[in-house]
Amino acid sequence: MTDPVNVIDSAARGLSYARRVRRGSVGAALTPYLYILPAVLIVGVVIVYPLVTIFQESTQTLSTGTSQYVGTANYDLVRTDPVFWQAVRDNATLLLAVPILVVLSLLFAVLLFERVRGWRIYRTLIFLPYIMAITVIGTVFGLLYEFDGPLNVALRGLHLNWLALDWLGNANLAIPSVMSVIIWRELGFGTILFLARLMSVREELFEAARLDGANWWQVQWHITVPQLRTVIEFFIIEIINMMSGVFNYIYVMTSGGPGFASQVLEFYIWQNAFAFRQGGIAAAAVLLLGVTVVFIFLQFRVRRGGAVADE
Amino acid sequence: MRSTGRRLLAGFSLAALLACLSPSMALHAAGHRLHPRSPITLTYWWWAESDVAGADKWMRQTVALFEKAHPDIQVKIDIQGTDNLISNFQAAAAAHKGPDLATQWATIPVLSQAWAGALAPVSDYVPASETKHWASTIENTYGGKLWGMPLYLIGIPVVYNKTLFRKAGLNPNKPPRTWSQFLAACAKLKAAGIIPFSMGNKDGYGGAWFWSIIGKSFLNSSDDVKRAVVGKTHFTDPQFTGWLTALQTMMQSGYINDDVASLDLNNGFGPFARGKAAMAFSTDANILGYAKAMGEQNIGVFLPPQIGSGKLSTWYDTTQSSSEMITSWSPYKRQAAMFLMFMHTPERLKALYDQTGAFPADDRFNLRAIKDPLQRQLLSWDLGMRSVWLENFVPTQIDLNGDQTAGETITSKSGGPDTAAQLWERTARQWRVTNPDGLKHFTGWIGGAI
Repeated sequence: MTDPVNVIDSAARGLSYARRVRRGSVGAALTPYLYILPAVLIVGVVIVYPLVTIFQESTQTLSTGTSQYVGTANYDLVRTDPVFWQAVRDNATLLLAVPILVVLSLLFAVLLFERVRGWRIYRTLIFLPYIMAITVIGTVFGLLYEFDGPLNVALRGLHLNWLALDWLGNANLAIPSVMSVIIWRELGFGTILFLARLMSVREELFEAARLDGANWWQVQWHITVPQLRTVIEFFIIEIINMMSGVFNYIYVMTSGGPGFASQVLEFYIWQNAFAFRQGGIAAAAVLLLGVTVVFIFLQFRVRRGGAVADE
Repeated sequence: MRSTGRRLLAGFSLAALLACLSPSMALHAAGHRLHPRSPITLTYWWWAESDVAGADKWMRQTVALFEKAHPDIQVKIDIQGTDNLISNFQAAAAAHKGPDLATQWATIPVLSQAWAGALAPVSDYVPASETKHWASTIENTYGGKLWGMPLYLIGIPVVYNKTLFRKAGLNPNKPPRTWSQFLAACAKLKAAGIIPFSMGNKDGYGGAWFWSIIGKSFLNSSDDVKRAVVGKTHFTDPQFTGWLTALQTMMQSGYINDDVASLDLNNGFGPFARGKAAMAFSTDANILGYAKAMGEQNIGVFLPPQIGSGKLSTWYDTTQSSSEMITSWSPYKRQAAMFLMFMHTPERLKALYDQTGAFPADDRFNLRAIKDPLQRQLLSWDLGMRSVWLENFVPTQIDLNGDQTAGETITSKSGGPDTAAQLWERTARQWRVTNPDGLKHFTGWIGGAI
């Protein structure tokens, strides 16, 4: 039962607090807001202000030194620009690397976990590309992938002339070639990530599965993959995030060419903002991209929410 | 009461602070009076090495000599990369902050900065008695003022390997003159197992060169380009698609190295330099380098073959390539002009030629110093023929996403001349919409210089 004295005490304390507030102790009421003020300011400076500025810029055209208000003209230009849509398609194509990376990383992680002969050397070799600078990798692969470069010379030497293609000079191969370099570099990250998680999985789980007669594939499917699920999810998000930032690879390896064959959104935005001094177009592309990403994210959340509710 | 106390405290604090500061301020002021004025520093965003090898070394030497002659002026060189040459300066121009002197490619890259208010006219600070000696100034003249200083001249003829010509049964002393003779020579070279023409177009510059060198023969003047830029004519018109068809013919006939799409402009010279290709477009300085490496008796040059019948078909393609500019925000414009003039002193011009092989853009350069017949031939074309470099007449956006992309479309075999020309025209259309001021300047420029 509630102690009446305590009730009175607490009521008195509440009254006293309310009086203090009423008596003009506004400071006390504002204290929580003051605590969050630095964070609000930082968010405002880092996120809100740039967004407002970008929006403002997206409604203007900066010609020779002067800004002019153009309403939604920049959005119309971006929306009807085939190069923008080519960039969107190329970014989407690059996302194909995500499942490839997940599968290959898993495979290498499992092989290293099972300590195949020379696994320590393989582990180093697989991880090495990940610590190399992208510009270095891009430059080296730019040379390797030349039509008469070392790769094709080797292929021709093996009488595989049909496979000696113009990897970066052919409009149909430029994006897949860049994708292959991204996969080669990022594979090390995925492998080490999965391997680290695998090493913390209890050995008994694998042993129990084997004792129950599970073959190698069944062990991987029923033990390894479920145990790595959270790490796999993290890796997928990381890679999708990374795939939207492939500017360095494109800039060094293809400069968006041949023609517009390997345009990506980052390159499109950079080129308009800095090479062509079309800040309005670049800003409109940024906001269109942002709105699209938010829309996809919300749709994903709604679907996920629906799925959870169904469960 | 408490409030009055606080005010008194604040007053004392302020007085104490001023008391502390005043001696140091006095000392600072005295220092100004006691010591001579410190040297001023000119910041120079310099680019030329990609054009003429050895230019950076020459510039460092020039700076050292200038600083010795003018102890009160220091010059800080900041070497610029080709990829960022335009964008870096545009960023500086937008902020109205950056170098005192800067290099840009001639004509539109210079004039567009002048239109944007980022430049001070060179002719306002350098007397006419000096600028009258400078060559090719017309490339950067607008509104009666000169906006960039020329330093060297670059002509781009066709260089050929006489040994390979001989091997293919061609007369090495009678190079092709017309387009049909050129194609016939290519056919013979190919039949002999030799790559007829060496070129790189991964970065789009090979195509832009092809347009500037071959494509100009379809035009009557640079005004034709300006008209297409402003939309009075179109880049899809036959006068602008002729070079695309010619390039496609060469690609389809196998007259160009098969790795053209995966080599950039500079690497595209490789097959010629290695003696595998018989011909290439090449700059004066590079040609002299080939002559040194392969033996002058094995190297020949000829004027680019004419394919069209426009008035420009008899013109050559010499350009100052890059130009030196004074920025509008520089507080040291007079000193910057002094440095520009110093670069044109006869001793520095001779050193430029000796160290780089590039021909100085100045009539005070002693031509009699040149004895070598190949060099005399190149220089006579550079100085003796009327010239135009078309790429200089299109805005950066139309250059990068227009003529360069059109050329890449052909060399990567991802489209024909029609597709390529449509991409070019579409870029020009976009530029017109987003650059109302540029459009105004371009329209006013038609019928202007060159």
